[in-house]
Amino acid sequence: MEGRTAGGLRLTARIILAAALFCGAAALLAPGVAWAASCCGGGSASALTLPKDSDSMYDTSLDIERYNGYWNSDKKHIADPPGSNMAQYRLNLGYARRLSDNWQAGVAVPYVWNDAHYAAASSSSNGVGDMAVSVWYEAFDTIMCVYKVDSLEDLRPAVYIGGGLTIPTGVSPFDGAPSSFDITGRGFYRFDTNLLVEKTVWPWTVALALSYGAYLERPVNREYGEYVKPYHKKPGDRRALSISGGYTKDLVDMDTLTFTVAYSDMAEYGGTIDGAADPASGLSKKAFALTGAWASAGKDWIARMSWSRPVRQDGWGANFPATDIYTVGVSYVYR
Amino acid sequence: MYIVRITALVGAIALSSCGGMMDDLRPSSADNSQTANADSTGGTQEQKAPDFTVSDTLGRSVNLYAELESSSAVVLYFTMWCPVCAAHSDNMRNNIVPLYPNVKFFLVDYVSGTVSAAREAQMSNGYANSAFGVLVDSSGSILSSFGATMGTVVVISKSGMVTMKEDYRDGTALKNALAKL
Repeated sequence: MEGRTAGGLRLTARIILAAALFCGAAALLAPGVAWAASCCGGGSASALTLPKDSDSMYDTSLDIERYNGYWNSDKKHIADPPGSNMAQYRLNLGYARRLSDNWQAGVAVPYVWNDAHYAAASSSSNGVGDMAVSVWYEAFDTIMCVYKVDSLEDLRPAVYIGGGLTIPTGVSPFDGAPSSFDITGRGFYRFDTNLLVEKTVWPWTVALALSYGAYLERPVNREYGEYVKPYHKKPGDRRALSISGGYTKDLVDMDTLTFTVAYSDMAEYGGTIDGAADPASGLSKKAFALTGAWASAGKDWIARMSWSRPVRQDGWGANFPATDIYTVGVSYVYR
Repeated sequence: MYIVRITALVGAIALSSCGGMMDDLRPSSADNSQTANADSTGGTQEQKAPDFTVSDTLGRSVNLYAELESSSAVVLYFTMWCPVCAAHSDNMRNNIVPLYPNVKFFLVDYVSGTVSAAREAQMSNGYANSAFGVLVDSSGSILSSFGATMGTVVVISKSGMVTMKEDYRDGTALKNALAKL
């Protein structure tokens, strides 16, 4: 009986410790929202969030995005031409740093490879994608996840409020690239406001991520390398939502393995050309994602794999490619 | 350590500034557009359009200058059957094609490779019985001779002159070009 009690206490202590360690990294283990695709291969980085009790973090990931048809503006899913095989590969390098107890900032730069093969045309190209800079405010002072709920206070979530800026460092249709196959960025600055609400009651985690972004209007005097009569263009505002639920398994030596399921819904409203409606703008995509993440006992090393898959049916997207995105990534956190 | 990080950041931005990408970081509204020598042949505005003969998706042989003999102009739209292409084509079909019954409108499929594959793409994209003819540019010769890419629209007047060549955007430039014919 004593042995069982002592064993139970050790197990409880172990769970508490694992929970405490996990909680510091929970934001890292949840899947990011990957919205990189454009029909001609625009690639952008996504924002990083730093765990509460850490000073800085390096992150490297590889996205493999495979194209498989698209939705037209009537939300009808249409297959790619026979014999086509298109993919974009993005190597993302990220760094995040704590600025103060409740503030952090991060930067992420993707390097993009485009690989397009059709029956009558093939192209491979590469270049830097669009860079992302982010700032987050943590609207909580201590780690908010718990291993047991004793009061309503224990249900208070961790709330992150953020701002982001996408910088058009990639190759867009509006510079020297001669072909749509060569595109690695969209060519527009975009400001985002982000909200991340997350709650972990060990071993379960739920999260809600909301984002609203506005592109800056820009002049265009060049299309695919050829100068044209100048005009002004502005994509529509972007909204994104992601909800996720995860379960964490305590492994030997306090390592953890977390599985997360997420649903995401992203849309852009119609844009303008010289103030008039742009008929090729406005898009949406809904997708599900599965993520598996391993974290070391000290939660300094985190490795993850994820698969984002759209529903290739009518009504699940509009004016946008239907792409599967496979991601493998590693983060190292300094505390 | 900070120096390494800042160097990496500056290096990334410097890399991105190669090859004219500063056009995106600091976009310009300067009008640098030029018209080509009218005596030359090519796909640029004011040039004489290069002739071509290709098959359409119904297996018929289509020659540019033969088409111009029976119409007031030819419009080419270069498609790879993508979301932007579909949005442009739908806009053109609904708002411009009906206004110009004497103009021949062609989608140029430069990716499918064969008549049967291009026909399949045409049908799955909803253009089986549309006013567009679909040209099968299996060798990419029309694409390269006009210096086009996805979304490029070209207007060729009855005299064989290229009077417009640029991205379709919202169709306004195409409407203006056709109105001037």
